[in-house]
Parts: sequence; C-alpha cells; structure tokens
Amino acid sequence: MKTRTIRAWSWVHKWSSLVSTLFLLMLCLTGLPLVFTHELDELLLGDQAATGDMAAPRLSLDRVLAIALERKPGEIPAFMSFDEDRPVVNVTSVDPAGPAGRYSFQPIDQTTGAAAPPVAGHPVMEFLLQLHTDMFLGLPGMLFLGAMGLLLVVAVVSGVVLYAPFMRRLPFGTVRVKKAARTRWLDYHNLLGVVTVGWVLVVGVTGVVNTLATPILAYWKETALKELTAAYDHPAPVGERSSLDAAVAWARQALPGMQLQFVAFPGTDYSTDHHYAVFFHGDTPLTTHLTTPALIDARTGELAAVAETPWYVKTLSLSQPLHFGDYGGMALKILWALLDLATIVILGSGLYLWLGKHRKPG
Amino acid sequence: MSRHHRANRKDLSLWAVFRLPVVLFVLSLAGLVGALLEDGVWDWIGSALLASTVVATVWALVRSRS
Repeated sequence: MKTRTIRAWSWVHKWSSLVSTLFLLMLCLTGLPLVFTHELDELLLGDQAATGDMAAPRLSLDRVLAIALERKPGEIPAFMSFDEDRPVVNVTSVDPAGPAGRYSFQPIDQTTGAAAPPVAGHPVMEFLLQLHTDMFLGLPGMLFLGAMGLLLVVAVVSGVVLYAPFMRRLPFGTVRVKKAARTRWLDYHNLLGVVTVGWVLVVGVTGVVNTLATPILAYWKETALKELTAAYDHPAPVGERSSLDAAVAWARQALPGMQLQFVAFPGTDYSTDHHYAVFFHGDTPLTTHLTTPALIDARTGELAAVAETPWYVKTLSLSQPLHFGDYGGMALKILWALLDLATIVILGSGLYLWLGKHRKPG
Repeated sequence: MSRHHRANRKDLSLWAVFRLPVVLFVLSLAGLVGALLEDGVWDWIGSALLASTVVATVWALVRSRS
C-alpha cells in the first residue's frame, strides 16, 4: 500500500472515529446494562407479571375496550395489545383534541375488567433506554445517533484497511507487552478491533436501522398500506365501527396458526384511516419477530387484505433482536456484554492513541 | 516510512494477515444468524460460534504474556 493511500485511510479512520467516539462510548456504557434489562427489572422490581388466572373465562374485546374508554372519556382507541404471561389486555387511547403523541395506557384484566398493575421497567432502566435511543431529543436525537452509527461503520471499514499495513510484520494476535505503552495499546486496539469486526458491524448496522424506525413505518403507511385503503373520504368514526371481536375472528381465519400480537385502530401509525390492522406473529425464533397484519374494514367488519410486510419493514423487525442480543438465552447476553466491553476498550485505546500522537511535537 | 511499501520478503501476505480475522468474522456471523433462525440447541451453537472471538482474544493475550 502506498504511503499516500495509508494517509488517506488514516484520515478517514481518525475523523470518523473522533466525531463519533463520545456518542459511541455513551451507547456502549448505556447498552451494557440494557443487555440485561429483563433480568435487572426482575431483580429491582420483583416478578410483576404473576397475576391473574390464564384459564378463567374472559370478557370480549369489545367489552374491554368499552370499559377502557369509560375510564378515559373523550379519548379514542389507538392500540390494543395482549400480555403473554397474564390475562391482560393493554388498551392505548388518545385524546384527539390533545397534544400529539400523548397516549393513555391502561392494562385491564380480561377476566374481571379491573385495572391491572402496569408492567413498567425500573425508572433507571427506562432512563438508560431513552438516553441510548434518542438522548431525550425525540426523532432528531434518534437520527443523529443513526449518523454516529454510520460513522462507526466507516471507522470499522477504514480500521480493517489499516490493519494490513500495521500487521504486515506481525503474526495475528501479537501484543508487544514489553514495548512502550503506546505500542502495547496499539496492539490491543488492533487485536480487539479485528476480532470484533463481525459483531460490531451487525450491532452497528442494526442500530442504524432501528434509528430509522419512524421514517420506515411512515413510508410503509404512506405507500403499501395506502394502496389497500378503499376510497373513503374520511376516517371511520368511532360510532360507525364494526365489532372488534368479529374483526379479530376474521383476521384469525385469514392467518391460521399465528399468534395474535396487537390491534391498531383506524387512523394510527400502524393502520390506515379505515381499517383495524390485526397483527400476528409466528412462533419460531425468526417468525416471532416478523409480524403480518390482516386489515379488516372498520365499517363493514370484513377482511380487506392480508398485508404481508415489505422487505424494509422485515429488515426493521429483524434488526431489533440482532441489536439487543436478547434472542439466544443468557450465554448470548453474556457474549454481548463482553463484546460491548471490548468495544469500550477499542474506543478508549483509540482516543488514547490519538491523544498521545498530539502530545509529541511534530 | 519509505515512500512506497514494496512487498518485502519479511512481509506477510494479505491472506496471512487476514486469514484468522476472516475465520472469526464468518464464525461470528454464523453464530449471530444461527441463534436467530433456530431455538434450543442452536442458541448454544450460536453462542459458541460467537464465543470464538473471545477465545481468540484470550489466547492472544495469554500467549503474549508467556
């Protein structure tokens, strides 16, 4: 490799890393406890889900919805989701006249109609998650962190290119422990950097995809979902809607053998203005993350379409487990934590090597 | 640094430099995807494949200190 080529790649590696390092360090530090969210929440809050009798007779979904809306007068339903380990239906509603994005969330025991205790994460974990997702800045924060993720990909690629000239005289895994600290840390940086390339790229790229969740879903709604919308000129008003239970039953018939995940009401982000979107997921590890909605005409209660999600929504769905590392049991989570720690060392040693370079004159 | 890094007899080939990193890259990706596609024993196989990165690091660190 020519010196000039190496210089150019060094420049790319230096700047892509320098701009993103502080944010990537924040992401690694907050991501480390987030890998164990489930375990930490259980440890800090106890097992919250252990309520209710799964075998008891249940109220109809229409009844649960009516109960929920009685408790929030003036609000319209947005989503309904179903807990897997307790007989609880979660109703999300919104005040159409209120500020956008302010939702009411009510877990309701489907056997009694009583309010069920919410299963919330520990406030510390929620704080870390928010910091990790958007730094409390909403969509601009998410997209900014996505840009930092892209810089991480550039830094990894340029790092791999630079690995060749640095390692052309050294066998794999060499750490010159007896040399000066700078040399030793360069070797640590190179070793950890090159062994973690696969994992860092997967977590980095899927993280970037996750930051695009809002535009991806908006695009899906504007294109594929819109094509399915019949030529109604106004959203189906709450009073003119068909039975929710009938809609879910229709949807079940259309997608037999799949698990009911949630219902999006007309006018929300996950549906059209005219349909109940009833979402199902499969039960293999892969298909658990892939949802398929059946669209039910909210006025007639009839099946309008089964809207297989397009590739970009599937990509988003699969990016979540691949980013969180929560799909392969405790062993995988421990590896996620170790590789996260390795990434912290890579970022720290990179910063150290850059600072050291600038302390020396010339 | 000389103006051109001409291949020198002492230099390792590109393949020699990247052989093990490529192996680790492939094992990591196979592990990450394998654990996602199947449950049960594949969770363990996936973790074991991804663990190759940790094993390689520990091996390199131990060897450097001895």
